[in-house]
Amino acid sequence: MKQELHANRVQLSYATVLFWTSTLGIIFIIVGYLTYVLQLLPSAVSPAEVALHWHLRAAELHKVVAVPSGWDWLTQLGRGDVISYASIVYLSSVTMFCLAVIIPAFVKEKDFIYTVLTLLQVTVLLFVAAGAFSGGH
Amino acid sequence: MNQRGYRAFSSIFLLTLFSALLLLSPAAAFAVQAQPPVQTEWWVWEIALFVFSFFLGIIAVIAGVGGGVLFVPIVSSFFPFHIDFVRGAGLLVALSGALSAGSPLLKKGLANLKLALSMALIASISSIAGAMVGLAMPENVVQLSLGATILGISVIMLLSKNSAYPEISEPDTLSKILHIYGIYYDEQLKKDVSWQIHRTPVGILLFIVIGFMAGMFGLGAGWANVPVFNLVLGAPLRVSVATSIFVLSINDTAAAWVYLHKGAVLPLIAVPSIAGMMIGTKIGARLLTKVHTRVVRKLVITLLAAAGLRALLKGFGI
Repeated sequence: MKQELHANRVQLSYATVLFWTSTLGIIFIIVGYLTYVLQLLPSAVSPAEVALHWHLRAAELHKVVAVPSGWDWLTQLGRGDVISYASIVYLSSVTMFCLAVIIPAFVKEKDFIYTVLTLLQVTVLLFVAAGAFSGGH
Repeated sequence: MNQRGYRAFSSIFLLTLFSALLLLSPAAAFAVQAQPPVQTEWWVWEIALFVFSFFLGIIAVIAGVGGGVLFVPIVSSFFPFHIDFVRGAGLLVALSGALSAGSPLLKKGLANLKLALSMALIASISSIAGAMVGLAMPENVVQLSLGATILGISVIMLLSKNSAYPEISEPDTLSKILHIYGIYYDEQLKKDVSWQIHRTPVGILLFIVIGFMAGMFGLGAGWANVPVFNLVLGAPLRVSVATSIFVLSINDTAAAWVYLHKGAVLPLIAVPSIAGMMIGTKIGARLLTKVHTRVVRKLVITLLAAAGLRALLKGFGI
C-alpha cells in the first residue's frame, strides 16, 4: 500500500491557509471586542444594555435589543458592536476558506472522491452560513 | 517535599484555586440569588468570565479534557447568561481552540485530512440538525438533557481506556476506497508509525450521533471523537486526538452558523471566553509536566459530574 509521507501536499496547503486565516481571526476578534467594549466607535446597543438582557432566551433578547445576528449587520459596518460581531462571523468562516482552497488541489491530483467530498462539505457549510437551515424558533 | 508530593500538592492547589474562584466570583452570588444581575456592572462579569475561562483552559489541558465540554455546564450553572448564549460561546470556544491547534497537527501528519473529511461531512450535517433542535427545545428540557449527557460523559471519561497503537490486521473495504491510511513520526518511539483503520461504516454512524449532540449542547466533542477514532476505527491515539480536533473545527463551524443565525452568539460572552481559554490552554500545556495529571483528571471529572447534576436539577426546577 502506498503510504503518504507524514503530510501530503493538499494537507500542507490546508495547514498553511488555516494558520494564517485563524491567526488573523484571533487578532480580529480581540480588536473587534476592544473596539466595542471601549466604545471606540458608536454602537446601536451598549454593552451595559446587552448585559441587562443576557439572561433572556436568544429569541426574546432580539425582541428587546437590536444586537446583530446572522447577516443583518452588513449595512452597518461602522458600528462597534457590528465590528465585534463581524469578527466572530469571520472566525466561523475560516474552515470554509481552507476547504475551498484544497478543492483545486484535489482536482489537480485527480482525486475524484475527495474533490466531491470536499465540494459537498463546502456546499453544506455555505448553505448553513447563508441561513438555509435557520428553522426552530 | 519529594517530587510526587510536590506534584500532588500543585494539582490540589490548582483545583482549590479554581473552586475558590468559582465560589468567590460574582457568578456564585448570582447563582444564589437567581435574579438578573442588575446590581453588578457588566464589565465585572466580563472580567469574571475571562478569569474563569483562563483557569478552565489550564485545567482542561492538564486533565486532557476539551475546554468546551467543561465550559457549557459550568458557565450555565454559575453565570447569569442564558444557556442559549452559553452554548453559542461554548461552540466558539471549541472552534477557536481547534482552529489554532489544527495547523501544526496537520503539518506533522498527526491529523489526517482524509480521515477527517470522510467523517466530517455526515457529522457536520447532524451537527446542524442538533443545533436546530437544541435551540428549539424548551429551556428545562435542554437543562435536563444537558445534565444527563454531562453525567454520561463523566462516566465515559472515568471508564474509557485508550490504546496507543491499536493492531489492525486488515483495513475494511470502505477505508481502502477512501484511501484512509497514513504515517507519522512518533516522538516517544523515535520512529515512523504507519496506520490504517477498520470498521469505517460503524465510525460514520457514531459520528452522526456525536455531531448531533455537539450541535445540540454546544459541547466540543473530543470526549467522543477520540474513543471512536481510537477504539472503534483503530487509529493510533495521537492520530485520533489530532484528527478529532480537526473534525471538531468542521462540525463546530456548521453548528456555530445555526447559533449565529438564531441570534445565540453575543460577542460580550463569546470573546472573553475564547481569549481566556486560549491563554489558559497555553499556560496549562507548560504546567503539564509539573502537576499530577491523574489527580487533576479525577477531580475535573468530579467537577464535571457535579455540573451535570446541577444542570439536571435545574431541569427539574429544583
